[in-house]
Amino acid sequence: MNKTLTKIKKNIKKNINEDIECFKWHSSVVLEGEVDKWEDVILAGRLAANKGYKGVVNNIEVKGLNIPKIKSPLVNDNSLENRFVDILIIGGGVIGCSIARELSKWDCSVLLLEKEEDLAMHTSSRNDGMIHPGLVPKPGTKKAYFNVKGNKLYSKVTKELDVSFKRIGSLILLDKNYLKVTWPLIKRRAKLNKVKGVKLLSKKELIKKEPNISKGVVGAIYIPSTGVLSPYEMTLAYGENAVDNGVKISLNTIVESIEKIKDKIVSVKTNRGKVYPKLVINAAGVYADYIAEMAKDKFFTIHPRKGEIVLLDKKRGAFIESVLAKLDLSIKNSKTKGGGLVKTIEGNILVGPNAYEQPFKEDYITNKDTVDKMLNSHLEIIPKLSKSDVITYFAGTRAATYEEDFIVERSEYVKNLVYAAGIQSPGLASAPAIAREIKKISIDILKKQMNIKKKNYWNPKRKKGPKLNLLTLEERNKLIKERSEYGDIICRCEEISKGEIIDALNSKIPASSIDAIKRRTRAGMGRCQGGFCMPLITKIIKEEKKIDMTNITKKGKSSFILVEETKCSNKEGEN
Amino acid sequence: MREIICILCPNGCHMKVANTKDKWVIKGNLCNKGRKFAIDEIKNPKRTVCSTVKTRYSKVPRLPVKTDDDIPKEYIFPLMKLINKIVIDKPMHSGEIIIEDVFKTGVNVITTSNLFYLLGIEKDG
Amino acid sequence: MKVKTYYDVVIIGAGPAGMAAGISCYDNKASTLIVEREERIGGILKQCIHDGFGVIEFKEKLTGPEYSERYIKIIKDKNIPIITKTFVLNVEKKGNFKLTLINPKEGIFNIETKALILANGCRERTQKQIFIHGSRPSGIFTAGTAQYFVNILGYLPCKRCVILGSGDIGLIMARRLTLEGANVIGVYEAKKHPSGLIRNISQCLNDYEIPIILSHTITKIIGDDRVKAVEISEVNEDMEPILGTEKIIECDGVILSVGLIPENEIAESLNIDIDKRTKGPIIDQNFMTSENGIFSCGNALHVNDLVDYVSESGRYAGLSAARYINDNYERKFISVEKSLKDFAYIVPQYIDIKSIKDKVIFYFRSMDIKENVKIYIKCGENIIFHKKYRYLRPPEMERIEINLDKELIKGEKSIEFIMMEG
Repeated sequence: MNKTLTKIKKNIKKNINEDIECFKWHSSVVLEGEVDKWEDVILAGRLAANKGYKGVVNNIEVKGLNIPKIKSPLVNDNSLENRFVDILIIGGGVIGCSIARELSKWDCSVLLLEKEEDLAMHTSSRNDGMIHPGLVPKPGTKKAYFNVKGNKLYSKVTKELDVSFKRIGSLILLDKNYLKVTWPLIKRRAKLNKVKGVKLLSKKELIKKEPNISKGVVGAIYIPSTGVLSPYEMTLAYGENAVDNGVKISLNTIVESIEKIKDKIVSVKTNRGKVYPKLVINAAGVYADYIAEMAKDKFFTIHPRKGEIVLLDKKRGAFIESVLAKLDLSIKNSKTKGGGLVKTIEGNILVGPNAYEQPFKEDYITNKDTVDKMLNSHLEIIPKLSKSDVITYFAGTRAATYEEDFIVERSEYVKNLVYAAGIQSPGLASAPAIAREIKKISIDILKKQMNIKKKNYWNPKRKKGPKLNLLTLEERNKLIKERSEYGDIICRCEEISKGEIIDALNSKIPASSIDAIKRRTRAGMGRCQGGFCMPLITKIIKEEKKIDMTNITKKGKSSFILVEETKCSNKEGEN
Repeated sequence: MREIICILCPNGCHMKVANTKDKWVIKGNLCNKGRKFAIDEIKNPKRTVCSTVKTRYSKVPRLPVKTDDDIPKEYIFPLMKLINKIVIDKPMHSGEIIIEDVFKTGVNVITTSNLFYLLGIEKDG
Repeated sequence: MKVKTYYDVVIIGAGPAGMAAGISCYDNKASTLIVEREERIGGILKQCIHDGFGVIEFKEKLTGPEYSERYIKIIKDKNIPIITKTFVLNVEKKGNFKLTLINPKEGIFNIETKALILANGCRERTQKQIFIHGSRPSGIFTAGTAQYFVNILGYLPCKRCVILGSGDIGLIMARRLTLEGANVIGVYEAKKHPSGLIRNISQCLNDYEIPIILSHTITKIIGDDRVKAVEISEVNEDMEPILGTEKIIECDGVILSVGLIPENEIAESLNIDIDKRTKGPIIDQNFMTSENGIFSCGNALHVNDLVDYVSESGRYAGLSAARYINDNYERKFISVEKSLKDFAYIVPQYIDIKSIKDKVIFYFRSMDIKENVKIYIKCGENIIFHKKYRYLRPPEMERIEINLDKELIKGEKSIEFIMMEG
């Protein structure tokens, strides 16, 4: 055993008092063994990370802990059987979709697989929608590089794709005078990461920007380039534009196995048939390590770090203008994430996210203790806010590796496999830049196999359906005169019309569930949380899609809204 | 002695009912209707049943109905079976009889909403 | 109907409060328009197919649709202007009130009015507002949503369910779901006492042997796609779950009946003062809010347990609005004081002594269950009202009607409600 491995093993033993097997495989270090608790798994992984190996493959198990299988779609058909494609993208989050759009500029066939019934069902709809400025990542990391680049690209891409985006700026709040000593460090970090316009604000300047802020705050560091957008709107826009430019998207499609010959993938088996790709891009989020394992190339492990988010009533939206977070002295430590208050693009205040390690990749359970703790710590930033302003809360998981950096590269050992993995925060902010890089890598690989060139015509633009409450009264009136359904308000809280719901049902990537409509229109996202509009929307889906009410779901699979029609189960009543 | 909550009005009187030598002793009722209710409740408890019936109109798939008087409690579920078999296939007014003399009690099931109005057929209001 | 650009009074909402307000405005010779966001008028009564409505108003036990259709008939007979499927986008004060409205037929249009009656009802509290945690499967419904599915659309939202909260709609839905063939496992209430009316406990739960379990709440929702189970815990005096009391109950649905909140987005947008207790506007005895010319009634004002009182409040709000149109209005307030310990709330919160004409109606709820108490109303040194109550229960709103002597309260700053034992 070499020196480094011995050192890692010793260090783990010292910290968690367990004998863990450490060995080298390909360029990575593999950990195997059994421990009592998940925290020890995480700790062992961290102790092995960044010690000169490419990645940590952490196979340590927790005694008695049963990790559930990946949640699969209910569909089984042959719609993809024997499909030959140039590029297969696995994962319909913001990363997979932004890559799909980039690749759609090239004259090649692209198929994107998503296991859920819609795009952006996991991490891409379960985050704060913040486009980070790139100040926090350690200089020299991929995170720092792609974040700053991605942030810049958003101005153009949101314009092309007609996605609402605002650079509202962020404020790192200093609640003690002595914290101002951090300013030179932050300034230096900003310079190294090439984040422009960062300023130290006095209390007076801060209050001018944020008049409702707690009296205890003595100053702030202002970063103007921070932006906000709706992460699922962004993902869908990428997806729709990609589809417009010839990309095929197959929803409800899960990868079951990967067949390799020597060091090349030849086919990918799914629940909807076998696909034969020239190149595979792994953008499978929290499951990227599963896909890697199927290709016998698992050189990293994703440990899902949960984050909870709380949304407050829009009525309170006017209390802040930007992103507010208390200075976290562990700023160098990219593993922690304090969260804060975010003025979302829709005008709500978002609280969070918090961050904690737990073993389940798709566990979106919220917990009282952690949510309460987060609310207590953040609501005090704006004393006018209270817990009674909460309208909803939810959770997501971050696809973190033990190296805590992005993996944006070609596989070392599988010739036609490319990774966009470990994309945790600030993944959304980095997406446009990551997509460009992955495109470059992929096209380079493909060029060796085929003749490939850019398309003569590529449509960079996507136009979203009308969002009536964002229009002027005149524009709105004109649309209603053209189509009266735009004047029929279904969701009272968010003022969403029947027309917009029908648009969502018929869009390029059509919504088919209540939640999919919610992500596209915001219907049901207000203070009554769908109490009034959900039955109406169910009826609209029934009428538009000509399906039975009992087949309508909240979010696909077996999440049916209704159980059965009344007065029909009585067998005697039938003839 | 039995304790009975009167359901006739929002007062919800909490009554104590005893029957000694064929004489009813009732305490806690605020009015005379309560007395009758209490005795009925012991001898033969009855309820009004409210439900819906199917219609053939997709715009108004269900029409509300009720019994026009109380029926013995044990008839509630058998009555629901009858109600569940009905399908309304023509517009009706509120108060029209749908099932006559249920279980020979003299009580009818009647509509409680105006289907003309619900369907937007602007006949009388 | 051709909509005009000006009305003396515009009423927002055509439920029981708005319909009564519209009729009384119209009867008092004000030009009136009722605006309703739904396709059909009648408000929530449309789906309340159970009986028990109208015992005070009509001296009869009516179902919700029967009760509302009596008012609909009056509105139609009198030909009172009403527009449906019309949503209020904005209200602005510009001398008069300028309303921006939207509907499929007219698009976006404006109406001016001198007086505005807010009769837009209430909404249900959601699971998130009472901080239930766990997963987010389908199968969780507020009682009103479940009622709409069952009674209007004819679908069962669950077949084996748990009801959280013992509000009246929850109790009514327990019976309704049972009649339609679902199994209601139990009604869980975090408080020590039921929130709904006693007679509903009797006729909706006891009749069907559905247990009510007090001092218990749902602490976790379990299930990915559809609800599979809930975790129930006992709660302590402060309604905090007691560790170690968790129990898993398998079910396919959760019905929530955890309270109603007046819908006051319009009132708030006009900076009208809101009572923290009722969550509705603060009003005077004429149902006028802190803003001259804006009235509030029904469940938008405070959540009622009987529709009869909703109609009554609408009627008075309508009458007052019609008077407001013609009078040269200036108000002078005295406050209605109370012990916050004894009273959950009292409406109205203020008396306008300038406009005292006839009787004044108070609605109130006690904070806790009280047996054998007396309520006094004091004005300075004088006791102007007293009444003995065998019971006061928070779920049951009480109504007091008194004649306030203008001379008597002259010079006083307040009148005071006092609750005394014995």
